[in-house]
Amino acid sequence: MKTKMKTAALVALGAAAAAALYLSPFGATAQNSMMMAASDNQVWDAFGGNQQAQKYSTATQITPENVKNLKRVWSIHTGDVSSGARSTTWGATPLFVNNTVYVGTPWYRIVAVEPDTGKQKWAYSAGGADGPPENQGLKNRGAAYWAATMPEGGKACQKIVYIGTMTGELHGVDADTGKRCAGFGKNGVVDVNAWATKNAKWKIGLIQPPAVYKDTLILGWAGNDWVYKTENPGTVYGIDARTGALKWTFNIIPPDMQNTTGTANVWASISVDPETGLAFLPTSSPSPNYYGGDRLKEMPYATATVAVKAETGEVVWSRQLVHHDIWDVDTNSAPTLLDIKKDGKIIPALIQATKMGFHFVLNRNTGEPVWPIEERPYPASDVKGEVAAKTQPYVPYPEPTIPDTTPPVSKFADIVSFGECSRWKARIRDEGRYTPPSVRGSISWPATLGGVEWGGGALDPVTNTYVVNSNVVPQIYTLVPRADADKLYGDKLRAQDGYAAQQGSAYGFKLENFLNMWGMPCWVPPYGTLSSYDMNSGKLLWKKPFGQVQKWGFYMPESWGSITIGAPAMTKSGLIFIGASMDSRVRAIDTRSGNVLWKHLVDAPAVSQPAIYTYKGKQYVAFAVGGNGILTPRLADQLVAFALPN
Amino acid sequence: MTQPHSTRGAWLIVLASLIVIAICVYDYYTPESGLIGAGGVILVAGAAGLMLLAALAMARMPNRSSSLQTFLVVSIILDIIGSSVAGYFLESPVIMAAEALALIGWLMNVIGNAADRSVETDEVEDED
Repeated sequence: MKTKMKTAALVALGAAAAAALYLSPFGATAQNSMMMAASDNQVWDAFGGNQQAQKYSTATQITPENVKNLKRVWSIHTGDVSSGARSTTWGATPLFVNNTVYVGTPWYRIVAVEPDTGKQKWAYSAGGADGPPENQGLKNRGAAYWAATMPEGGKACQKIVYIGTMTGELHGVDADTGKRCAGFGKNGVVDVNAWATKNAKWKIGLIQPPAVYKDTLILGWAGNDWVYKTENPGTVYGIDARTGALKWTFNIIPPDMQNTTGTANVWASISVDPETGLAFLPTSSPSPNYYGGDRLKEMPYATATVAVKAETGEVVWSRQLVHHDIWDVDTNSAPTLLDIKKDGKIIPALIQATKMGFHFVLNRNTGEPVWPIEERPYPASDVKGEVAAKTQPYVPYPEPTIPDTTPPVSKFADIVSFGECSRWKARIRDEGRYTPPSVRGSISWPATLGGVEWGGGALDPVTNTYVVNSNVVPQIYTLVPRADADKLYGDKLRAQDGYAAQQGSAYGFKLENFLNMWGMPCWVPPYGTLSSYDMNSGKLLWKKPFGQVQKWGFYMPESWGSITIGAPAMTKSGLIFIGASMDSRVRAIDTRSGNVLWKHLVDAPAVSQPAIYTYKGKQYVAFAVGGNGILTPRLADQLVAFALPN
Repeated sequence: MTQPHSTRGAWLIVLASLIVIAICVYDYYTPESGLIGAGGVILVAGAAGLMLLAALAMARMPNRSSSLQTFLVVSIILDIIGSSVAGYFLESPVIMAAEALALIGWLMNVIGNAADRSVETDEVEDED
């Protein structure tokens, strides 16, 4: 009897302890760690590293102590690079899955290589790269991967790799052989243009690989929202991963607005909560980007984060991040999913980074903010026909990556240009955040280049440390009345001086970089930063200038930082890997201190996010090195991997 | 009026210039240098080319006017300073090392020339 009582007491004690552990903050960590262990396969099977866009690897072989020994173990050139009118932009993240590294190229090919040597296994060309540049031209952000949960033995295409093209085709090929999957669409190709017929001005651009949830692909597309007033309305497609059949569509623009505007599409990556099956869509601004006089009616899904059911497209919640967007501050990265430990509770959350340098931290099941979001008043427009939103969402916490007012004019840049910078700033509108575009010119702060650029941040889900790179770049927005635009530019849709027609609206538009006659930035550095936050408390841990500007080969001081395009990735061992900088270097950074521990030259700026994977017990860090004309003219076709020596 | 000037160090400057030109050509055409197609590299290569000509003049024209000697000495040191600064911002230690070599050559020449002048003066004083 005594023994039975003892046993019962021990069981009760154990149960109580387990319950306490589960409910306590420590228990939350333990639970989270268990979740981590379950997915601890050290693959990199999605654009954001995983479906939650965390860009995180559990690999621990490369550490802050030994990273200085990191060496290039292989490097290949895909051959898919070109300049001039057919200039390539390659921001792909390599995937590592199925014992293979897959990468999409800007000539719309998938290259599959061995993970430890870079030796090519197969290559597939979707074709069309040698034709006239359509839509976004030769631009690619990689490939997507799907595997059947219950594969049918001996049958091909139980694992498929997908790549989109600039002409709106989505190709599906067998992951083992690179041969087209006959059962996917029409002989391996889905023509998405067939679904995007409303106001179709051009073939839609599939530069971003789709997100994958179970047997559904969630696909957005890229457009040209500077060119016409009325364009293809932004629509997201749910597609059967096996057959390519259309399962659902989600229209971002309300039907009654589709004849006065367009786009507001999802061109960035999409994240998915594998537990709830919610897909999180970062939507962009409607067309035309910089004059909204013809689209004054509210469009709550534009420049927003929208949560939809991944298998049906049904909207669960949405939160608009910019009202009546007339700055082209598209939501440009997939929200990063995390479980916040706050006040002894676990909050299923997401972090939506933005071009405004804000981080909207929301409950991912409801869209409610974890920390308060304010509605603050902002300046009115002085443009006839335009009505800027009276208020905009403002996120005071976590601290924005950029300040609220434009940086001061650089005295050095001003003096060497004989006062050009200060004169320019004096004659244009500058009222800080959300200064509306104007006919005399306005400083847009932040402008289309961000704040946080596409790719977003990376998260260590064990410690909830979040790192993000951000630009500090004002640009000049000028509206050109239609009569003047027609006189100056005729029928041109775009011009080299930054002009975009916004055809059909009352104003054309001109985008200028705030540079002096020598090409020097007119504002004080830093031009780019890297920040780290504790996302359990929302506290900024550190913020440092990141990268180096390189002009004519000369490296500017590190304290100036660099404009960056691309995103970081993190490891469990306490490292951040990131390319992104103008100076064609890839770096490893200590997560705790933000200090650069290792850097290595590559062929061009690595405007992507790295893939971190482990193969046969060895950890690799792979970068697609492609460059981007926005940063420097230096373009490349290099796929390179680093590892520790044997 | 021409007079004998030291040629010491001139060949060292020639060597340094050739090293800088070679490095610049390599950097300009090599993706992994981080300087492929960079205008700054052309600038340094051009400066090294001018320094090469100046150093050759120094080496091959021992009998030159004092004004030419002054011009060569000043030009070369300005070239060395400018190229060293450029090398620093190009983050090219090889260019900076080559410029240090050129500086040694320059110092050898300047000191050698001063020493020669001193000997000549002593000789004149002895004759007195």
